[in-house]
Amino acid sequence: MPSLTPALLIEALVLITALAGFLGLLLRRNLFLKVLALDVMSTGVIGFFVLLAARSGVRTPILVASSSSASTPVAAFADPVPQAVILTAIVIGFSIQALLLVVITHLAQREPSLQIEALEEAAEA
Amino acid sequence: MNGLIIGWLLLPFLLAFSSALQPKLGWWMALFCCGTTLAAGLALSLDPQPILIQLVGPSGVSLLLDGFIAPFLLLNALVSAAVLLERGRSHDDPSFCLLVMALLGSINSALVCHDLISLYVALEVVSLCAFLLIADRHKFRSMWIALRYLMVGSTALLFFLIGCAQVQASHGSFSFEGVAQTTTGALALLLVGLLTKSGLFISGLWLPRTHAEAPAEVSALLSGVVITAGAAPLVRISQATPSLATAMLWLGLASAGFAVVFALLETDVKRLLAWSTVSQIGLAVISPVTAGLFALGHGLAKACLFLLTRRCPSRQLASWPEMPLPRSVALPMRLAALSIAGCPLLVGYLAKEQLQQQLGPLPVLLVTIFSVGTAAVYMRLWASPIQRLAAGQVPAASPFPWGVALLVVALVLGNGLPLLGSDSTLWLTSFKTGSLLKALGVLLAGWALHRLMRPLRPQIKLPDLERFDDLIGGMGIMGTALVVMLSW
Repeated sequence: MPSLTPALLIEALVLITALAGFLGLLLRRNLFLKVLALDVMSTGVIGFFVLLAARSGVRTPILVASSSSASTPVAAFADPVPQAVILTAIVIGFSIQALLLVVITHLAQREPSLQIEALEEAAEA
Repeated sequence: MNGLIIGWLLLPFLLAFSSALQPKLGWWMALFCCGTTLAAGLALSLDPQPILIQLVGPSGVSLLLDGFIAPFLLLNALVSAAVLLERGRSHDDPSFCLLVMALLGSINSALVCHDLISLYVALEVVSLCAFLLIADRHKFRSMWIALRYLMVGSTALLFFLIGCAQVQASHGSFSFEGVAQTTTGALALLLVGLLTKSGLFISGLWLPRTHAEAPAEVSALLSGVVITAGAAPLVRISQATPSLATAMLWLGLASAGFAVVFALLETDVKRLLAWSTVSQIGLAVISPVTAGLFALGHGLAKACLFLLTRRCPSRQLASWPEMPLPRSVALPMRLAALSIAGCPLLVGYLAKEQLQQQLGPLPVLLVTIFSVGTAAVYMRLWASPIQRLAAGQVPAASPFPWGVALLVVALVLGNGLPLLGSDSTLWLTSFKTGSLLKALGVLLAGWALHRLMRPLRPQIKLPDLERFDDLIGGMGIMGTALVVMLSW
């Protein structure tokens, strides 16, 4: 049984955030809230990547000219690879959110309540 | 060589943006992209020597080109070209060619990339292009279907990203090889993402309505190639991860059996084709050896059938026996239906036969039962009579179906594809008397099942599993089931 360290606690909280987003996506009846729940879920995922990068340290990974040798790092740097990766995912997630909201404004012209049942019924008709 | 490959990967995107500036050339540019992809696919089938490219250092992008992806590249090129030919050059919507090029490029990237993050980015681009192709802002239903597609896809890819993070945490890189050493939970999350993107089993419940509501050309692209962007990497990963082989076998069989039942009871032709996609892709992912050939056979025939539904007066199958179709529609439709049903001399037979050679006795029995179901499903496309013209009557003028013709030729020539590679023994063993007789037996049994189903169909009601909450819930159930299945 691993002891409860702050890192583990934050990891649990971050994963709970993602799970809460997923549950919101499943249980909310309003389409707009479902899209927001998707955003909450992606916030959880981004948090998870940031946490992952911070395992080796939290300092910004910038090369310092004064450091004498490249092999010995002067401070505990954060791992830049997960950060770079999640930056891409943030941009993609943001653009998808924007696209979804544009579609929602279109759908709202016909079905202003945005209730999921009403939308499904209108699409079937 | 590396420069050439990167140039080939980037070309569709470059030309897609150029076509926004020069809309008149868009159609030619898109055909040119299809040509380069076709050439790449043929080159890889002839010389399946793996080429591994590592860009920007060890934690950068890695690409792998080998014999495995060759049939997928051929499929992508042929289906995209057929859709372009079918739509014609003088169409008034220039953004269509742009999106087809971007889709072609992103599917190529998803096929060749060999690390999880490049795959994530490629799949997101595929989703966005497919979304824009489906969405028609003048139609409420089309907007709703497109929104559903995008939301389900991005939720699935968020699960995939959590899995990626855990692979990185345990292995230190995002490469496919790291997946084998990761935890069960991470594996389940990665699989949920890829299974949803490739439309398998209950995580593929989004697929029938989406593929049925999209315009026919877009359905052809979606059912023919877009799902392979998820399925091919899925097979790749399961190949690198021995613990996944059994899980993939049963998931594929479950998907095949489940969807064939829905397809048998369907009354709308486009929905029937879409359910059959779920079933056939299930069979395709079972074995890494035959995945490419199976997806090629299925994709060519399915794209052909979707393009032909455009020329049918009604989508309701009940009215088909009274609806004569012109020869140029009915004949290719019958041929493509036979190919998926597994009739010898067409590429579908070859794929099905080679798949059965890879499996044990129980899976072979199940595959045979599902093949009978599939044959019964496709017999229904034979229901409409061929239009007979009275002497002197001129057939109604319609443009020559170049796209359909291309796909039909490919269906027949596809038989020779395994001969291009090195393992022609596999090809020779597929045409034994026993196998041929079995294939004909399956077709006959399918015909009998088709006759048997006709009076039963109105009496059986299947539950509606395609509401939005069912799609999201299906993903959750699939994830939980995977964790249980993989740890057991």
